[in-house]
Amino acid sequence: MPDWQERITRETAPAIRVEHELRYAAAAPLVHASAAWCDLGCGTGLGTAGLGAPYAGTAILVDVDEGAVEHARTAVEANALVALTADLTNPADLERVRAELLDAAPNGRRCVTCFETIEHLSTFAPLIELLLGLAAEHDTSVVASVPNDAFWSIENPHHRTTWGEGAVEELRSLLPDDHVVARQVALQGSALALPGAPAEEVASVRVEAGVPTHVLLAFGPGADALAAAPRIVQADLSEQRRWERQRESDLQLLEATTERLKEETARVAEFRAYIHELEDRLGLPRAGDAATGDAS
Amino acid sequence: MRVAFLLHDLQLSGGVGVVVQHARELVERHDFDVTLVLTHEQEQEPWAFDGLAHLHVEGLAQARAQRFDLAIATWWETTFSLFELHADRYATFIQSLEDRFYPPGVPERSSAALTQGLPIAFVTEARWIADTLRALHPQAPCLFVRNGIDKQVFASPERIDVRLDEPLRIVVEGNPDVWFKNVPSALRCVEHMREPRHLTLVTGNPGRVDSDAPDKIVGPLSHQGMAQLYACSDVVLKLSRVEGMYGPPLEGFHMGATCVTTPVTGHEEYVEHGWNGLVVDWDDERGTARALDLLARDRRLLHFLRTNALETARSWPSWEQAGTFMAAALGTIQRAPAPALGGTRLLMADARVQLEYDRRLAHEQIELRRAARFARVLKRVPLIERAWRARRHPLLRALLRPLRPLLRRLLS
Repeated sequence: MPDWQERITRETAPAIRVEHELRYAAAAPLVHASAAWCDLGCGTGLGTAGLGAPYAGTAILVDVDEGAVEHARTAVEANALVALTADLTNPADLERVRAELLDAAPNGRRCVTCFETIEHLSTFAPLIELLLGLAAEHDTSVVASVPNDAFWSIENPHHRTTWGEGAVEELRSLLPDDHVVARQVALQGSALALPGAPAEEVASVRVEAGVPTHVLLAFGPGADALAAAPRIVQADLSEQRRWERQRESDLQLLEATTERLKEETARVAEFRAYIHELEDRLGLPRAGDAATGDAS
Repeated sequence: MRVAFLLHDLQLSGGVGVVVQHARELVERHDFDVTLVLTHEQEQEPWAFDGLAHLHVEGLAQARAQRFDLAIATWWETTFSLFELHADRYATFIQSLEDRFYPPGVPERSSAALTQGLPIAFVTEARWIADTLRALHPQAPCLFVRNGIDKQVFASPERIDVRLDEPLRIVVEGNPDVWFKNVPSALRCVEHMREPRHLTLVTGNPGRVDSDAPDKIVGPLSHQGMAQLYACSDVVLKLSRVEGMYGPPLEGFHMGATCVTTPVTGHEEYVEHGWNGLVVDWDDERGTARALDLLARDRRLLHFLRTNALETARSWPSWEQAGTFMAAALGTIQRAPAPALGGTRLLMADARVQLEYDRRLAHEQIELRRAARFARVLKRVPLIERAWRARRHPLLRALLRPLRPLLRRLLS
């Protein structure tokens, strides 16, 4: 059964979490150089750990889910925080986001990050229009990402549009000529923990062009400052095992509960039929008919 | 946004269908006001495309009286009418490099090529066209919007069935009279096969089929009809020489059919040799027949290709997604500064006149050739040949001199 990790939480698999953090790490030079930063589709904000340092400007956290925005407010470290619940397909909401960003830094440079969000939108045309307008007219650098679902033909039920090489090319044709494209590739590895060795090792990895898991696109002023360093973390197998087993165990529990509920429902229906039969024999009106709307 | 798409007609064709689908998406999901402007007098009733009811369909005369935010030509001949409309921006939606439809020497070929050099924005459905246009006109905005697939009509099965021992079920689709569809060659390839096979030919022109290869000839078929046919077929055989986005094999992919294709433009967007289809060489009818035989014999390979074809189809965008890209592309064109059109309007008017003149010349040339052929045949008749020779005799010339004005009038 697929595990759709659409919301990054503390239990998210390390590989997915580090993927997400890397995107923020890539955008970090642009974010830190901005007086205001807007994170569209911020989710729980946990990925922003990739920024590496507290943000010195005003962070505007935007998500369609109010609970996620509230969570992000506690996770993101910034000089000032604005939390916005907004639907990024709605032009009025997009206008609110735009106004908030322009107000937060009336004269300074701005940055917008929009990671793993576009594919969730039923229409992304208004969002693209907003981002292009901000980049062209309001000194705003934009970093966005989309997944390469097409490679595996992944049919993610949470994704409203399919992304891959072709769709990225379509998107690129809308962007200014000087946009930057970075292909995010997956790494796999292992390490030996020797007794007495330093707690931290710096691993070097050869990164070559390959099939991307995601594609990052940056445009606007300073887009070429996108950082490309890989991010490697040790997998916390203990946590991962806990999460996966908990999930399997919860699933079994829910399946058993559903079965039990079905049996109970059938038993109640049987009992009700028996009561009705008795009532009919005694010439009494059927109990519960009027009150519950039960027509049986 | 008020948008006018200029169409030559509303007859059944892939190109017209694509424009209608985009127009429908723009109206239904992106709040556009779209008018389909027909640039020519219509002799036939329009094809009943789905969604036409939501669109305004007007003639050029009506459209001239209105103002649009954006006017978009959709076929090279419609660019001649493009600047007759009042619009803030002009664009052309290029579905193929249309000059390639015509052989060298035909007036339409150079005129179609000319329209690819207009100083307006380009929107195209194929990456190879976008790359070509960008190389030819680096300064011109060129937006890439792939065609969607109607996922309700070409509704992919969850899994494909394994076909072990039936004859290989082949579909060939296209008009045998259109040279670049190369249908006769495809039929010959099937004739050269050695393994059991069943060929269905889909054509709107069944009377023009000069081959015993097809087991069944059907058509014209609606999209629903094509989807049903692909669903019970193993392979789509296409040996086209010119294609734009190259839709038919992709539609087949959606229904679990693989393809055998030439490396025609557009195939590179989704066909991968040995992964979801087989790419055969140009003019290699024997080799193509062997590729088909291989699929008929090697059911493991056939199933692998069909499985991956279906997976490829899953990742292809729906019309909803394609419509969103089109909306974004048109928005980008509208927001960009208006290009300097300079003398483009006059140039197009001149080009149109020149095209008509060249067409007339070409027509006269054909007529003269026909007359010359007839004269040559007549001259081969002995009596006429003798009379023809005798006309040079001085005595006969002297006798005929008074009749010359009358003869001239008769022959003119």
